[in-house]
Amino acid sequence: MKKLLAFTLACLMVVSCFALAACGKKETKLSATQEIIKQAQTMTLEELARKAIEESNGKTFYGVGNSSRGKSALPLFIEYLQTIDSSYNMTYEWQQPKNNKIFDQLTADSKKTTGTFAMTLIQDGNQIESKMVQTGILDTFIPKDWADANGVKAEDYNGYLALQTLNKIFMYNSTGSKTYTNCWDFVAEGEHGLFMDIDSELVGKNFLYMLTKDEYANQLKAAYDVLSAEKKAYIDTAVKAVEGDAKDFGLGANGKYALAWIKLWVESYNAQSDDGPICNTLVKDSATDQFGLLVYSKLRSVSETEETSKNNVKVAAYQDDYKGIGGYGYCHYLFVTDNSPLPWTACAFIAYMTCTVDGFSAWGKDIGGYSSNPTVAAGTEEKYHHSTGGDTAEGGPFPALNDKGFTWWKDRLVIEDPEYCASVAFTVGSWIELLTKYTG
Amino acid sequence: MTNQLNATKRASSFRIGRNKLFTFLSQPYNVILIVLGVVCTITTVAPIVAIIEDTLKIHPGTIDQYLTGKTEGFSFANYIDLFTSKLAKTNLWEPLGNTLIISFFACVTAILVGGLFAFLVTRTNMKFKKYLSSIFIFPYIMPQWTLALVWRNLFNSNAVTGTSDGLLASLFGIRMPLWWCQGIFPCIIVLGLHYSAFAYILIGGIFRNMDANLEEAATILNTPKWRIVTRITLPMVKPAILSTVLLVFGSSMGSYPVPHYLKLSTLSTRYLEMNDKYAGEASILAVIMIVIGVAIMIINQQSLKSRKNYTTVTGKSGQISKINLGKVGKYAVAIILIFTTFMTSIYPLISFAFETFLPNPGDYSFLRTWNPSNLTLKWWITNENVTENGLYGQMGMLFNKTIWTAYGGTIFLSIMCALFAGTIGTLIGYAVSKKRRNRFANYVNNIAFLPYLMPSVAVGIAYFILLATNDHFNLYNTYALLIIVGTVKYIPFASRASLNSMLQLSGEIEESALIQNVPWFKRMFRIIIPIQKSSILSGFLLPFITCMRELSLFMLLCVQGFIMSTTMDYFDEMGLAAFSSGMNLMLIVTILIFNGIINKITGASLDKGIGG
Repeated sequence: MKKLLAFTLACLMVVSCFALAACGKKETKLSATQEIIKQAQTMTLEELARKAIEESNGKTFYGVGNSSRGKSALPLFIEYLQTIDSSYNMTYEWQQPKNNKIFDQLTADSKKTTGTFAMTLIQDGNQIESKMVQTGILDTFIPKDWADANGVKAEDYNGYLALQTLNKIFMYNSTGSKTYTNCWDFVAEGEHGLFMDIDSELVGKNFLYMLTKDEYANQLKAAYDVLSAEKKAYIDTAVKAVEGDAKDFGLGANGKYALAWIKLWVESYNAQSDDGPICNTLVKDSATDQFGLLVYSKLRSVSETEETSKNNVKVAAYQDDYKGIGGYGYCHYLFVTDNSPLPWTACAFIAYMTCTVDGFSAWGKDIGGYSSNPTVAAGTEEKYHHSTGGDTAEGGPFPALNDKGFTWWKDRLVIEDPEYCASVAFTVGSWIELLTKYTG
Repeated sequence: MTNQLNATKRASSFRIGRNKLFTFLSQPYNVILIVLGVVCTITTVAPIVAIIEDTLKIHPGTIDQYLTGKTEGFSFANYIDLFTSKLAKTNLWEPLGNTLIISFFACVTAILVGGLFAFLVTRTNMKFKKYLSSIFIFPYIMPQWTLALVWRNLFNSNAVTGTSDGLLASLFGIRMPLWWCQGIFPCIIVLGLHYSAFAYILIGGIFRNMDANLEEAATILNTPKWRIVTRITLPMVKPAILSTVLLVFGSSMGSYPVPHYLKLSTLSTRYLEMNDKYAGEASILAVIMIVIGVAIMIINQQSLKSRKNYTTVTGKSGQISKINLGKVGKYAVAIILIFTTFMTSIYPLISFAFETFLPNPGDYSFLRTWNPSNLTLKWWITNENVTENGLYGQMGMLFNKTIWTAYGGTIFLSIMCALFAGTIGTLIGYAVSKKRRNRFANYVNNIAFLPYLMPSVAVGIAYFILLATNDHFNLYNTYALLIIVGTVKYIPFASRASLNSMLQLSGEIEESALIQNVPWFKRMFRIIIPIQKSSILSGFLLPFITCMRELSLFMLLCVQGFIMSTTMDYFDEMGLAAFSSGMNLMLIVTILIFNGIINKITGASLDKGIGG
């Protein structure tokens, strides 16, 4: 009996071992596009370009994105392909849906055997993670040249491919005597910063989610620690009010400071429809002591007049004694659609945008947008001189326009992490929605 | 023998049935009713079914997935969460309350303003009537958000709204309180003024044709004036007031740009805000808007059934007694109205034109300094986008391909919608008038009118779900989709105009041609249409004009750059106010030119549309 039992158990163990081994070896079947991506990740840009020429000559390329500049990058890409094969030609259409409809568009398109859109340039890591990646609608392609420049291996890289990181930073009108030298100053009593409504631009909501991540909560706590007792007293009330919530959400030790900042911010910011109007307000003489959290590049578009000047604003984080977060960074991600009609061309286009200065030029000519490829970032700086652009600008100098670059900014920005955002969207996210927004 | 007899009987009844069917189908109006009845039912009911399905569907990455733990399938989670969660106040009750308030008071404002204006134009000896009459409908011709933008540019101030100073604050230091600048009050005024043209057209039509004998008789009998107004005048215009309520309530409820620009949370603005995390719940908001629209129609129909009928056009007296405003009064009232209409109709045009020469949006340095260097032509004439010109990488309007493509797209879309909606509406009007007591004809008439009562945003959402997120038949961002939606939404303009005019036509006119064996096409094109051409053409003109400046209906169905309204919205939001102002100006001038040409050639005009 014992032998029989021993034999049975032995058999079970063997079977289990085989089963486990099989599970370990088991690979999820790759889709046709994923197979192509796998091969494409080992190719140089030029090799990809040849594949693209073979695939898309005489065809139409459909792209969809949150940035209209994809449309400017496409003709440059075609020109590049024509340097390899002068007979090459491709027509293109670039769509930029509004009101979050890009996700509905891509979802609908994903249901076709062969989709319409070859690729996408998309923002809002939270929705990308939950609606696009977890559902298998979009595939990440990591160009070999990009991986080499970043010192990683394409096949081992786990994140999404970012075309660029854009920053939204705290800027204030400096025509008065008021200064903002700590990120808690922006949520102090009576302050009403200008900010795009978090319900109309969702990356703003992601910024708030990210604050609850330990590394940023710790930064907020460090900035809090250097505040005066008077300023702390106002914040402490908010911290106490959210202490329980921070525990319920399982946040880290300083999570309550993050929730307090979020609460004070949501209950005080003056919601605006876009960053353009925010910038136009801040640069005027009449906006004394006002501040906003807005896209850095908007500043470049201001014309100098008797009541408006780029010198009327200061970038808060550029002050030597500034403490705490200086704004936030969100990415424009690039993906190939899983049912892409032109997967090779999509990969080549993505590689062109992320691996060449010309490919990135549609975005690179502006301050506040940084290529995720360090080689391209350096080349862009060399070409456009953003770090000193304010000194040489017509009618300048405009110190606020001198962009210190991503290497400087990355430690002062709250950078979006799609997975983290998706994980707190219905805990911290729903809590934020319950806060009473400032209405004037 | 019996079998043979039965077979003969069966054959004969079959022949009778077949003959009846042929006779039935030989009447063009019967065929029209059947075909268009089916088409209108599908185009109205299918999107409603699609949107209801969406409220029950689980959407990956949204609240229903979080609540049910499933990534697909159906659930009531959206309904439960929307009505019972802690967010119910923010997501449902507050927007619903605001929507009902602005819709109700927009009706009141429209009726008071439009009705008073109609009274002054038709029943008094006020001066400058012709000018005032044509200028009064300008706000309706202009895109809905025009007045909202003007309001914002006029009254915002840094001290109150925290934004750039508006014109009054900038030049005169006048700072209006917050409730005046944003929220319910300005939304009511803006929507009320926009739709007062409806009230003017409808109520004015009755005032113009009203038999003065009734009021005169009452005067002879020494009836006090207030009693004449409450017992005679008002009951006579009651149908027009109810029609105005019907039209304005539904339109205001579905307005997106006005509450969006004036910062009010309504069902339509909330829909867009909730769409990312609460897609299914957002669709419930659209269903609520549709239900309210249908309820208003039912209430209206009930009151039509129950109310006493008043004959307004007797054919006996064309005489309308005009109230004498006095020597000074007739000028004084006119001057007040000239100033008011200047502010609502002319000032926006001047303001938009001026905005396109400002160096920065809302930068009124020029008006303070009169220094021409504080003006610029860059928004118009910049012809490259390489150097930084403050145009966010865009070329000037004259060289901007996106703008001109959108302009062409809008003209094409408006013409197509006008042709389809006008033709279908005219046919429905004709067929219904021929079978005016037939139940199916009434059904076709009502089902064709229903989309008008459904808020534009809700119709847009329904068609987005039906035809733009469809697995097999995806029409997103195509003119085909926009034309379908525009046609369905605007058929009521043409069907009402056509029905009203067809009902005035005696049946004998067509019958005499029928006796002469004149074919139907010839009867239509040689007799019926020429007689009622101005009313029928108004039924084409109204869809054209409305379509030219429509945003709420189309904004979910295409990308920016496709048509003018979505492109304007895009430029305005990104801070290129000069572009949106210039494009607004282009649209208004185009509409006025088209209106003028059609008016000159055919005599048709906007104010003959809904009023018939």
